[in-house]
Parts: sequence; C-alpha cells; structure tokens
Amino acid sequence: MTDIITSIIAGGVVLAVTILFVSIGEVYNERAGVINLGLEAIIALSAFVGLWVTFETTPIFIMDPLLKHVPYILGTLAAIVTGAGVGLIHSFTCVKMRVNQLIAGLLILTLVDGLANFLNNIALQTTVPIVTILPPLIPQETGLADIPVLGEILFQHNAFVYLAYFLAIVFGLILYKTTWGLKIRAVGENPEACDAAGINVNLIRHLCDIFSGAMAGLAGAFMSLGYLGLYDSGIAGGRGWIAIIVVIFSRWSPFRAILGSLIFGLGYSVTANLIGGGFIPSNWNYLLLIMPYLVALVVIVLFRGTTKAPSALTVPYWRK
Amino acid sequence: MVKELEYKKIKTEKKTFFKYLNYLSYPIGLFLAIIVFSVTLLLLGYDPISALVSIPTGAFGNPNSFSETLIRFIPLLLTAMAFLIALKARFMNLGVEGQLYIGALLAYLVGARMEIVPSFIAIPLIFIAGFMGGVLWIAIPLIMKSKLGVNEIFPTVVMNFIAMFVIAWLTIGPLKDPASFNPRTPFLPESTWLPLIDLIFVSYIFVSIFGLAVTIKMYLKWKERKVHPTLYLALTFTFLTLTIIILSMGLLEAIEAITIGEYNIYRLHIGVFLVVIIALIIYMILYKTTIGYKIRAVGQNPRASEHGGVNVTRVVITAGLLSGGIAGLAGFMEVFGVHHFLIRGFSPGFGFIGIAVAALGVFHPIGVIFAAFFFAVLQVGGESMQRGAGIPVDIIFIMQAVLVLTVLIVQKWMSTRNSS
Repeated sequence: MTDIITSIIAGGVVLAVTILFVSIGEVYNERAGVINLGLEAIIALSAFVGLWVTFETTPIFIMDPLLKHVPYILGTLAAIVTGAGVGLIHSFTCVKMRVNQLIAGLLILTLVDGLANFLNNIALQTTVPIVTILPPLIPQETGLADIPVLGEILFQHNAFVYLAYFLAIVFGLILYKTTWGLKIRAVGENPEACDAAGINVNLIRHLCDIFSGAMAGLAGAFMSLGYLGLYDSGIAGGRGWIAIIVVIFSRWSPFRAILGSLIFGLGYSVTANLIGGGFIPSNWNYLLLIMPYLVALVVIVLFRGTTKAPSALTVPYWRK
Repeated sequence: MVKELEYKKIKTEKKTFFKYLNYLSYPIGLFLAIIVFSVTLLLLGYDPISALVSIPTGAFGNPNSFSETLIRFIPLLLTAMAFLIALKARFMNLGVEGQLYIGALLAYLVGARMEIVPSFIAIPLIFIAGFMGGVLWIAIPLIMKSKLGVNEIFPTVVMNFIAMFVIAWLTIGPLKDPASFNPRTPFLPESTWLPLIDLIFVSYIFVSIFGLAVTIKMYLKWKERKVHPTLYLALTFTFLTLTIIILSMGLLEAIEAITIGEYNIYRLHIGVFLVVIIALIIYMILYKTTIGYKIRAVGQNPRASEHGGVNVTRVVITAGLLSGGIAGLAGFMEVFGVHHFLIRGFSPGFGFIGIAVAALGVFHPIGVIFAAFFFAVLQVGGESMQRGAGIPVDIIFIMQAVLVLTVLIVQKWMSTRNSS
C-alpha cells in the first residue's frame, strides 16, 4: 500500500511540472492584462521542436561523456525560443493590433497545432524521432534516492522538475518583491494610471506575453525530453487548458500555482496508477480522465467570490 | 448651411470608402496565407504551384468531391452560427465542440430506439433531441454565468473535454458495437438516416437562392432611389431573369432525372438545405425581430440596454440556449447524415474551426455562409492534396489560421485609421 501511495505522490510531483511551467507564465501574462488561450498548442509545437533538435544533435555529442547533456540543453533552448516566437505573434496581434484576445488566442491555437502536426508528419516520412529521457539530476551514488519513501518522491527526478518548482518561487518573489513585479501588476489593474506614471504599458504586455509563450515552450520541452521521450499529436493532453484554470485557482500567484498544479498532477497520477495497477478495467480510463475537469469546474464555482481577476484582463490599451 | 451639407457629404463618402477598403483585408489575407503555404512547401522541397492547384480540383474536380465539400460545409456553418449568435449577446461560447458531441449523443440515444417508427416521424424527433442535447450542455455554463456570476470562458472549455471523454468512454464501453474493432456504436436503423439528395438539383437551387437574394438586394436599392435608380432597376430585372432561367433549368433537370430514373446521388444529404435555412432564420432573428434587436443591444452595451428596460440575463440565456442547440444540431447532422453511427472523435475540432469561420465571415450570418463554404473547399481540397502529393493536410489549418488572423488584424487596423 505504501508503495502505491509513494508512487502516486512521486508521479504527481512529476505530472504537475507541465502545468506549473505553463501557469507561471500565464500568471505573469494575465497580471499584465493579456490572456493567451493558445498555450495548449504551444506545448505541442515546442515539444516537437525540442525533441527534434535533441534528436538531431545527439549523434554530434555522443562521443564525449562530458557533453552528453548538451543536446538536451539545445533542445530546451529551441523549445523556449519557439514558444517565445509564438508568444510574440500573439502579442503583436492582441497588444499591438488590439484584436480580441480570446479569438486571436484560439486562432493561434489552430495555427500552432496545425504546424506541430504538419512538422511531425513531415518528420515521420523519414524517421521517428525518439530520445532517451533526461536522467535524474541527483546521481545514484549519493544514496539520496534510496531513502525509503522520500527518496522516490523528492530525489529521483530530472532537472526539469526541480527547475519548475525553483522558477515558481523565483518568479513569485519577482512578482511580489521587486519594482518590475509591481509594474506588471499595476499594468493589469490600471493601465491609464501606469501610462500617466511613465510606464510603457504595451512594452510590459509584450514582454509578459512572450514570457508566457517561453514558459509554455519550457513545458513542452519537459513533456518531450523529460517525460515521454517522443512526440504524439495529443502530447499536451489538455494540460494547457488546465494550467489556465490553475491560474484562476491560484488567484494569480505563482506560489499558489505550485499547490494548484500539484492537485491536478496528483489527479492525473491517481488515474494513471489505478489503471496501470489493474485496479479498474482499462476502458474506464476515459471516465477517470474526466475527473480533473470536474475538479476544475468545481474549483471555478467555489472560488468565484474570492478570486478577483486583474481589472484590465482582455482589455487592450491605447492612448485615446 | 450649404457648407455644412457639403461637409457631411464628404464625411459620409469617406466612411463608405473605408467600408469598402475593409473588403481589401480578404485579398491581403489570402495572399499572405498563400505565401506562407508556398514558402513552407518550398522549404520542404514540394512543388507549391501544383499543390495549390490541387486544392480547387480536389474540392470541385468531380461530382463526388463536390458532394464531399458540401458535406463538410454543413458542420462548419452550424458551429460558426452557434458561436456567432452567442457572441452577439456577448457570450463567448467556446464550448461548441462539447455541445456538438452531446447533441450527437442524445440524438443517437433517441435514434437507436426508432427502428419501427417511420422516418417522417423519427427524424423530427431526433432533430429535437439533438437540439436539446446541445441546450443541455450549454445550460450548465449559462446557469453558472447568470446565477453565480462565473465568467463563461472556462466552464465552456472544460465542458468540451468532459463531453469528449464521455463519448470516448461510451464508444469503447457500454454503447460499443461488439462486432467492430473501432471505438464505435452499432449502425443506426436505416429509417433514421437523413435522406440523400440529388447533387445537381442542390446546386441549381443554391444558385437560384443566391440569385434571388441579389435580386431582392438590388430591388431594395432601387426603392431607396438615392443613386443611379435606373441602373439598379436594370440590375434587378437582369438578376430576376437569370434566377428564373436557372430555376427552370433546375426544374427541367429534375423532371428529366425523375422520368429517366437517373439520379446524381452521392453522400450528400438533406442537411445541406436545413443548414442554409437555419442560417437564414438566424439572420432574420438577429436583424429583423425584437429579440434579435435586444440580443445585439446587449452585445453592444449591456449596461445601456439594462437601463433601456431589457432583461439582460434573459436575453443572454435565450441567445446561449439557441447557440447550444445549433451546435447540437451540427452533431446530429454529422452522425445521422454522414457516419450513421457514433464514433470516438467524429469531429476533427469543428467547434474550434467554427470560431475561425465566424471571424472570417465578420460575425455576420450571411458572411459566415460564404466563409464556411470557403473553409470546406480548403479542407476537402487539402485532404485530396494529402492523398495525391503526400503533403500533410495540417498545412490547411495553418493556412486558414493565417488567413483569418491577417483579416482580423487588417480590419482592426483600418477601423482605427477610420475612427481617428
């Protein structure tokens, strides 16, 4: 029994990472007053790009044991750049040209999803890109991973997992303790006042939108390089949408986003473990996959009073 | 006084000029989409010209592919309409996909029990069931919005996933056809299938409807007697004559087909008529009735219409339920007209493509009809391109998104130019 619970929690910690990466970026984006609904597709595209870059560069660095992580770094960087690029398209459309953010987000979802599947189908014509999953960060020799329960939960993960929780704390501190964070929060609440105070409203929004795209790219890199090792057209699996709901649940705070992501990650993990362990018939898995979304629906209803979205969310700003 | 009038005239002329400039966004968008398409294919070593040519030939090349295009046109038009009518009341219905699935499910559950019922009773009942399925699925976000004050965007999105997984579970679980390996249900009784119709006849009817619409438009212009009355009178008569000629040709064709007994029947079903009628009804509701006026007023400015004595909540709920019902009808037509069974993932994201269609049709019911047809041409042509040249059909989605994004950006840019 302890084994199952341990593996559920350890799986939850890993599965929360994708949602956490995306929701950190989206918290910043929504705090600045922009919402990007295309995150789901950005995860997929950057997962493919990251995987492909790593797959192509692995033979170059395979000879040198010191450089064996370089392909993963290159792949991750490529994924981040891809995500940021899509974020730039979104910010150009919504911030500069002031098109309706929701409609533009969904169009970018179609665009980027189509691009990811197109590139994947093109790649599949010659080869199937597969990489080995990034190994755990903490070496086996330290013995930390062998600690009975805590070892599996805390010390057997790869660099992405630690990076996610680390970044959540860092960006939480930046948002609440620095002038930049104050500016971002102010831009989302009252852009007119910010403009009067000499803050470049749209520059901050552009940067936040690009940042949220980059974080979704990081999430995609984790999915393909750190979790699956391959690409599949349904790789995001609704995690982009769940992340947007986690942002509401966490009341636009990166710290609380850790909690929200862990809850949904544990939900996914319970489903996976129940089916993998043979406790329930496998054709029930779709019924169990509904669970996170039901939880999300309940969360939205329960937190409706306490959550106050940034006032200028989805409202474009320009000098009248 | 004279000066003032002149000023007014210049101002209105300027406005109409910009109004027509707005249409320039379509060629610009199409141009950019084709550029993206060609550059992508060139980089990957395909021949973009032949690929581009294969799209219209794949969509119109033979009667069968034209019938496929019209079949694809049906769900695209309905989902776009569903999104549009809710948007007019400022309700972002992002859950069209889910309502489509549940509409199809409810219609299936009713239809599967209609083996002995004659089809002229069964099909209307199933039609209502499909409508109610969509209504049921949008009711939850609607209640959450109107009673609890929850923004509709996230509930509608979440309901999509729930609907998708419910269908996936049912088609491999309780409703699965034991004789099939695919995740699908048994075939529906044949009496509930939507009747097939003659392709040539449909084409003639559509062309004459279009001609009639243009005739009416010209007649109204002539009645205004503002500019060039003689020209518009002449145009009215020309289009009227053309329409009558086409209609009589269609009738002759139909009589000939009936006498010889030779029909041009492919997979095209009667839904193609129904959707165009539904689109026209929505146009009438939105622009010619009081409730439509209220819906548009609420969409323009909820607070002002509240002060004007409109019950905003009730108007939003009316528009929302209508939207969900139409989305449900899309699922009903897809299942009863094309597949004849319920299968996992029978909709390749029609709900989301519908939003792009609505945006391309500048959120106007008539514009959406043309936009939906254009998207159907692109998709069916793209599928034939995939079969022919081996280019993945996903590039069509890229092209569509680039086209709509460019159109939106250019229109927004021009409207800001216009106002300032």
